[in-house]
Amino acid sequence: MSLVDFLIVFYAMIGGAIRVSTPFLFVALGECLTEKSGRINLGLEGNLIFGAMVAYAVSYTSGSPWLGVLAAGGAGLALGAAHGWICKLPKVNDIAVGLAFMSLGTGLAFFFGKPYIQPSAPRLSSLPMGGWSGNPQVQQALQVNPLFFVGIGLAVVLWWALRNTRAGLTLRMVGDSAASARAMGLNIDLVRLLATAAGGFLAGVGGAFLSLSYPGSWNEGLSSGQGLMAVALVIFARWNPLRCVLAALLFGAAGALGPSLQAVGLNWGYHFFNAAPYILTLGIMVASARSKSAAQEAPRELAIMK
Amino acid sequence: MSSASSPETTPPGIVTRLQERLPEARLIEPLIIPLGALLASAVIFSVFLLALGKNPVTFFSLIWTGGFSSWFSVQNALQRAAPLILTGLAFAIPARIGLTLLGAEGALVLGGLTAAVVALPLQAAGLPALLILPLMALTAMAVGAVWMGLAGWLKHARGVNETISSLLLTYIAIAIASFLIEGPFRDPGSANKPSTQPLGFDLRVSEMFGTSVHWGLAAGLVLAVLLWLVMTRSSFGFAARIAGGNLRAAQGQGLPVGRLMLACCAIAGGCAGLAGFFEVAAIHGQANASLAAGYGFAGILVAFLARQNPLVVVPVAVLIGALDASGGLVQRRMEMPDATMLVLQAVIFLTLLVSDTFYGRLPFLTYQRGEDRS
Amino acid sequence: MTQTLATRAPSLQTQGVIKVFGSMRALDDVSVSIAPGSFHALLGENGAGKSTLVKCIMGFFEADAGAVLLDGKRVSFHSPRQAQAQGIGMVYQHFTLVPCLTAAENLVMARADAPRVINWRNETRALEAFMDHMPFRVRLDRQIADLSAGEKQKLEILKLLYLDQRFLILDEPTSVMTPAEADEVLSLLRAMAERGEVTVLMISHKFREVKAFCDSFTVLRRGRVTGSGDARAVSVAEMSRMMIGETQLRSRAPRLAHASAAPRLVLDKVCAEDEAGRKVVNGLSLGVVAGEIVGIAGVSGNGQSALVEVLAGQRPMTGGSLSVDSAPFHPCRADLNRFRVFGLPEEPLRNALVPRMSVAENMAFRSFDKPPLAGRFGLISPARLGAKATDLIRRYNVKTSSADAPIETLSGGNVQRAVLARELSGDVDVLIVANPCFGLDFASVAEIRAQIMDQRNRGAAVLLISEDLDEILELSDRIAVMSEGRLGDAVPSAGADRAEIGRQMGGH
Repeated sequence: MSLVDFLIVFYAMIGGAIRVSTPFLFVALGECLTEKSGRINLGLEGNLIFGAMVAYAVSYTSGSPWLGVLAAGGAGLALGAAHGWICKLPKVNDIAVGLAFMSLGTGLAFFFGKPYIQPSAPRLSSLPMGGWSGNPQVQQALQVNPLFFVGIGLAVVLWWALRNTRAGLTLRMVGDSAASARAMGLNIDLVRLLATAAGGFLAGVGGAFLSLSYPGSWNEGLSSGQGLMAVALVIFARWNPLRCVLAALLFGAAGALGPSLQAVGLNWGYHFFNAAPYILTLGIMVASARSKSAAQEAPRELAIMK
Repeated sequence: MSSASSPETTPPGIVTRLQERLPEARLIEPLIIPLGALLASAVIFSVFLLALGKNPVTFFSLIWTGGFSSWFSVQNALQRAAPLILTGLAFAIPARIGLTLLGAEGALVLGGLTAAVVALPLQAAGLPALLILPLMALTAMAVGAVWMGLAGWLKHARGVNETISSLLLTYIAIAIASFLIEGPFRDPGSANKPSTQPLGFDLRVSEMFGTSVHWGLAAGLVLAVLLWLVMTRSSFGFAARIAGGNLRAAQGQGLPVGRLMLACCAIAGGCAGLAGFFEVAAIHGQANASLAAGYGFAGILVAFLARQNPLVVVPVAVLIGALDASGGLVQRRMEMPDATMLVLQAVIFLTLLVSDTFYGRLPFLTYQRGEDRS
Repeated sequence: MTQTLATRAPSLQTQGVIKVFGSMRALDDVSVSIAPGSFHALLGENGAGKSTLVKCIMGFFEADAGAVLLDGKRVSFHSPRQAQAQGIGMVYQHFTLVPCLTAAENLVMARADAPRVINWRNETRALEAFMDHMPFRVRLDRQIADLSAGEKQKLEILKLLYLDQRFLILDEPTSVMTPAEADEVLSLLRAMAERGEVTVLMISHKFREVKAFCDSFTVLRRGRVTGSGDARAVSVAEMSRMMIGETQLRSRAPRLAHASAAPRLVLDKVCAEDEAGRKVVNGLSLGVVAGEIVGIAGVSGNGQSALVEVLAGQRPMTGGSLSVDSAPFHPCRADLNRFRVFGLPEEPLRNALVPRMSVAENMAFRSFDKPPLAGRFGLISPARLGAKATDLIRRYNVKTSSADAPIETLSGGNVQRAVLARELSGDVDVLIVANPCFGLDFASVAEIRAQIMDQRNRGAAVLLISEDLDEILELSDRIAVMSEGRLGDAVPSAGADRAEIGRQMGGH
């Protein structure tokens, strides 16, 4: 393989990593917000798929893909708010509710999405980032969707807000010590409801990316569990929005690496790369389970970390 | 601080009076609330149907037709229920000791793969099918047990949350299985869909006498009864339930909580692995990507609806199987997508979870708390 | 250079405050007077009503009768926030700081007027300026989780001052501090009080600190004021008498004399730690002879709960050893059975029972894995389980609607009777009892104490840990006082000097 070929593969990988990581990024940021408030939402997979369907359907009927993105966010917001409201009832099992919402979101998406599988809806246009290269393959690979930059910007804003705004600090307080938050007179259920709803919104937007950008169509095999993977991603990123970006890129690169290698004839590592993010996350969980310093980064009210 | 209410001021409800006379009446609350949830979900789903211009009565009657009314539909339901019994057990048993294990899907896949792979050299060695089949089942169960036991061990030894670790292990298991199926264990004949070598005809698990339901159902039934006996009647099950009910009390009684947790996880993995064995030996005949069909996750709904009771898992699995079985009929007759059943199941699951909040809060259903007289 | 704050220390009086919970009078005509700029100590045993009084002042609940006057004006708070707005602040026994935030973030967020967008440069500068006025400092940029307990407590006090609260209520503030930190904080607070900047009301049981730093004090006992005065003038013995009561002995339970022998239960330099790694049980050694009751007295929070948890296997032992009859003992089931060790832990629904399981099942916890309940293959016979439960319910007078009722539906006294029935119905060689009668009615208390005495008379080695000194004195053969994880020498309880015990409870 010549150097040029190698470079083409390399840039293809980068482009692929960016594409695959964008929905991860949105869902992960959404889950990060929710978990920072002390609640876990395992149902974002449902938000993702439902959001994808809604985005595609709205884009098809209205002709505007960005309206579709917004609608997907709204749908995700509704699901997230419902999740948050149910979880605040006493004696309700958060984890099971998440799984139920995963089924509900998926079911509703498949139910209402049947008419939209065949038709072609307007897609989100991408920004050509490969113009500097004369090679058409590289130019093709480096078409980046503006949502990717929105996601990064959002991560930076969230990171900043969690340290410098009253709302951000309130969120961290509720997620770290409910007793202290209550002593300050904060309404813990409301904060968690809002965080879960916001998380659902972002997951919906992530879903919109799947159907309107890459892979760019609506069908029932669209998601391969990215919603649940995002939970692992947030743990891997130790609940830091900036690290979520890096983790999403890592997970995305792992996902993109397999097909890229296959394209040049290297077959063996495909599944390993698919599984690598999970193995890494598991390793991190094991290493930090008894470690005092690592435990400090987890929101202490998060049930799974207690 | 003493509570403000006292038995003298609120008269005991009908059910409480009944419970004082008849000990079995204490089962009323755990029976009424889930049944109430089922009813509520039927109402909610009917509203959903009406909003779409569909007739709820037609819908539920089609479910009856498709799932229960004829021998054909009953068999269909039972066939679909078979793996659900096992994966339902795989969630319910650890739940009794307080663990939320989501790893049944991964254990199922690995179990099925093991069964498919183990069969080949044994078959080549000329061993009789009567010997190979049990060996396949046992190795499948062992691999599943080890895999889910891993999550239990991580919890006991390192304090790693078992929900997340079992979820991660599921994905890792699917990746390992895919790698092996597409790589070393691949059948060269399976060009477009990578699979292991198909099992010989005599290695397929047959249907039970004259029915079209394979023996997996009977195995699930036997395991459900067995595990119910273990959990409710054996010392091991009693100790596990103490640990699941109050960890501190279990420690105070000197019970080996870590070992109990590990054992429950291994049992769960064994059930899931067995489900994988039947998927391969009775349904597909080989291991491929069809193994990861979501039975593991569907089993969670079954377990919750059964309130983690191994015996009740069986009728609940049959109910869900009936729902699945009637999906096609509903689709054709009412022109609704087959995702309808998925939505119905999700609604049932959600209303059931919400109904948990009513335990102990409906005065006419629960025991009145006693008060000391001083 | 320490600049002074404006001298605005308020005065506070309570007049005839009464607070009743159900049938219990938590506060009975309590009148306390705290002068502005004073450092006032509120003394009393567990359950004397100190927490209730300060909670009334703080507005957690309202008194049923009586008045609270702040600076001579009658006030009535419906919530702690209202009290805080009027300048009354409280430092609780549990921390209200958020562990993942820094000290600066905690302080700023505690303000009612915290800005929406926080400009940290300005805030940090303001905080540093504030710190300059303060007699002690805490680093602003460190996460709370990294601070020691003493630093956290200092920060809690600083938070009150930052929020401009001038009447400070401190609930056992030095229980988590090293002696040096305690002295530092208390002397600085005293200086502030003397300058008229704050008025301090401190709940304490440590006579040394009260004598060294406080100027006035009030003693509560069973909800009534039993004494008050000048802390500097009144002696510790006198304070102790006010706290604990007259030295008349309660009638001690009838007991059989036993020949003394080698100790059966031996705790040798037992150590245990909390999550932060602090030693909550610090080299505790004790021997209990067969046929005697050794009582461990002490104010709660000195490591008694941790000790019981170690003995019950609920907390790991980080040092030392346990032995029964000269053989090593671990709280595993095999040893519990082999050495016939039984326990009546405190809060039985939390520590000894599964609330949702039936009475019959709960009573079977010790016996479910042995014959006669367990048959072949480890199968339990439900008939035998039920029969045994019925028998125990009858023998021990457990009032329940049925043996299959969930045990959480029983009243407190009957819950404890059920535990007794389970643990004491066989041969007992070692018995570990913790706060057995807490919150129970009179009849249940008498029964339970009689049962414990009975076991002692039948030759069990009984370790009794209780916060009720009367109970200890009535039941024990020997008494030792636990303070700060350490145990004083065990002395015979007959003729024990209550004042001396009280003094030991206030710190060695």
